[in-house]
Amino acid sequence: MSRREITRGCISIFVGLVLWEILTRLLLENELLIPPPSSVLRSFWSLLLSGQLKKHFLATLLEFAYGFSTACIIGVLLGYLMGMYKWFDEIMDPWIATLYSIPIITIVPLIIIWFGIGMLSKVIVVFKITAVAIILNTAAGVKALNPVWLELAKSLRLGAWETTYKIRLPGALPFIITGMRLGVGRALLGVVVAELMAANAGLGYLLRDSSETWDSPKLFVTVILLAVIGLVSFNLIKRLERRMAPWRQGAEWSAD
Amino acid sequence: MLRKIVSILAGLGLWHFLATVVVNDTTLLVSPIVVVKTAYQMLFVTGELYPHLFASSWIFFYGFALAIVVGVPLGFVMALNAAVRDYVNPWMATLYTTPRIAFAPVLLLWFGIGAGSKVAIVFLGCIFPILINSYYGMRTVDREYVELARSFRLGRWSLFFKILLPASVPFVLAGIRLAIGRGLTGVAIAEWFGATEGLGYLIFFAGQTLNIPTLFVGVAVFAALGIVAFEVVRRVEIYATPWRKTSAGG
Repeated sequence: MSRREITRGCISIFVGLVLWEILTRLLLENELLIPPPSSVLRSFWSLLLSGQLKKHFLATLLEFAYGFSTACIIGVLLGYLMGMYKWFDEIMDPWIATLYSIPIITIVPLIIIWFGIGMLSKVIVVFKITAVAIILNTAAGVKALNPVWLELAKSLRLGAWETTYKIRLPGALPFIITGMRLGVGRALLGVVVAELMAANAGLGYLLRDSSETWDSPKLFVTVILLAVIGLVSFNLIKRLERRMAPWRQGAEWSAD
Repeated sequence: MLRKIVSILAGLGLWHFLATVVVNDTTLLVSPIVVVKTAYQMLFVTGELYPHLFASSWIFFYGFALAIVVGVPLGFVMALNAAVRDYVNPWMATLYTTPRIAFAPVLLLWFGIGAGSKVAIVFLGCIFPILINSYYGMRTVDREYVELARSFRLGRWSLFFKILLPASVPFVLAGIRLAIGRGLTGVAIAEWFGATEGLGYLIFFAGQTLNIPTLFVGVAVFAALGIVAFEVVRRVEIYATPWRKTSAGG
């Protein structure tokens, strides 16, 4: 980002917020439709002080962390096996492809019926979304490995274990991280959907609670908080991607 | 191929076994045979699937078309004009990375529970892949083409219509293809809030009444719609950009 871009970006956001404040104060009698930024900020502060925000934020974060970390381990393992053994690939492929083409939110009701309205169902939702993305990308990465590297491993007399550790997995790493990046955005959507549908804690619950009690400032606090989480996680993983695979040209935004 | 068929059959067999012997509770899991029977009933006997399918298709179509009409020109303008890009970028990046579901209650508040809010949710889901790909398509046009146009002394408009636009078409189409999945998710989200018909409504209503066969049929129809729409756009891609062997972008 150049200096000019940053200046203009800041001006744009600042002017947007000021306009929002002025317009809502002048035009709207009722804060229900669009609350001015100052009421949103006030609502944020009171939620923060009452500890509600922390509770819901932690619930979502924990669900996300459990699902995501399990998906990383199992996803890489299955994806690696699919990339290595053709028979395993052929057996798994129809099922992974089916799971991949089903929009996740349509199976959330089913997951809630099976795993209850507690934390477990949300962890499963995050797991499903992330695991599919990682499996597909890891398999592609292992298959696309440069054959010269494998020959190098052979001429260095590396064992099967060492070839996996030192050649195959690092070679597939950029693909694995791409899978993770795709998983993060969708998993965030999935966990919020699941919480919205049936939960007693989490940001999705807060979203539902504030929209059903017509508490617009609180609703906007939640929306903005989700926007910030999305932005931060997206940028973190983008940075990780650049660090792990600097030879790959990263796009500034990339559509999933 | 043989292994794939064996895998599918074995999986279905396992599913049937689990449903009838292990679980044996129709409020949790039903056999694939029951699902197929229900699908047959809903499609050819009672025909109750069609109004839902119709309602969802319209919402999808409107939101999707609106996203193309707004997203493609906006992407092009952002690519061609640095000032517009710099001022619009922070808002776009924020909107894009926010989970779309977060906007659903807000949009509902603004547009009511009618078609407006549903189309808006689908629109919001579809527009970003289209906008981003249009932007990249226009940004990454080969310099040599532009130089060629200069040496032929093409004006601004002919440069745009004869060089820049055709060169970015493959990217735009790839963006449209990516938007399908997000649009379908948008339809499901939209119909879950205050809808009385549509596939999303069918699925959520079935989930709340523990009607597992209907739930499975709804999910399967959703998956089938995604696959069909994806294939249609892929065909259009091949037809519209015959000079490309494979599609790029995304």
